[in-house]
Amino acid sequence: MASSSIKPGILVSLQDLYPSSPFFKQGASLRVTGKLQEYSVEAAIAVIVDGSCRLKIDTRHLRDLNLRIGSIYQFIGELLIQSNNEAILEARVGRNVDGMDLNLYYQSLQLLRQFQSNHTSDQAT
Amino acid sequence: MDPTYGTHVKLLAFDFLSLTQKSSSDPICFYRKGRPVSRAETVGVVVSRERKGDKFLKFLVDDGTGCIPCILWLNHLNSPYFSRCNPSDVRLMADMAAGFAEEIKLGALARVRGRITSYRGALQITVSDVFVERDPNAQISYWLDSIRLAVNCYNVLPSPNFLKHHHQQNHKR
Repeated sequence: MASSSIKPGILVSLQDLYPSSPFFKQGASLRVTGKLQEYSVEAAIAVIVDGSCRLKIDTRHLRDLNLRIGSIYQFIGELLIQSNNEAILEARVGRNVDGMDLNLYYQSLQLLRQFQSNHTSDQAT
Repeated sequence: MDPTYGTHVKLLAFDFLSLTQKSSSDPICFYRKGRPVSRAETVGVVVSRERKGDKFLKFLVDDGTGCIPCILWLNHLNSPYFSRCNPSDVRLMADMAAGFAEEIKLGALARVRGRITSYRGALQITVSDVFVERDPNAQISYWLDSIRLAVNCYNVLPSPNFLKHHHQQNHKR
């Protein structure tokens, strides 16, 4: 993949991924975080959860990542929305983030979005 | 000189990628909101890596707000640029760069420092240091540090008195 065509993974929580959400788009590049609930080695499909929200992850492009049920992982990849409106993230990279403070992570995301939006509007004026 | 010029500024990728360049200056200088910057630090996930033999390693660091292109030169032993340097120093630099290249793996969370440069009009970091983070909260700390520094430091123009004092101190050294 040419590096110039790689888009940053927009930081989202699993709660952000519902059909009418602005992040729920075919091909959207996203960075998602959640606890590994299921993993099928044959299908290379993992399921991560955060509270009551879940997301399927296609892990077939990942190398050297040891997936353990109950651990927390972060994946970056593209969202594929299937005909039944179910989404699956085709992961490009993944990493174990056991020990991450998820409350701080989501609070920081809000701050980051606010800072980015203020900065962009400052530059526009 | 403005103190932001000599430090590794911690900029979020979207902020780094909106730096402007004054090409007529020598050395080439980059500006953030009118203040000069020359070095930067970033922390993010390595999302691509492309090695060109023993010449260089190009990689992209995604911090969630953008992707920063980075170039790590590996040609110390063959480049005429280093021919006048002490050979043992050049060997050390080459070994260090080769070690960094091994550490830059897809999916790693890397802290990268270096000079701000541009190639074919695109901003990039010419890498001098790489540190692969083991702390799962390192990305969060970096975001918060970058926001705090932007708001309290980089967005605040130093007073003329500060610049005068800074200039005098540098002159004494």
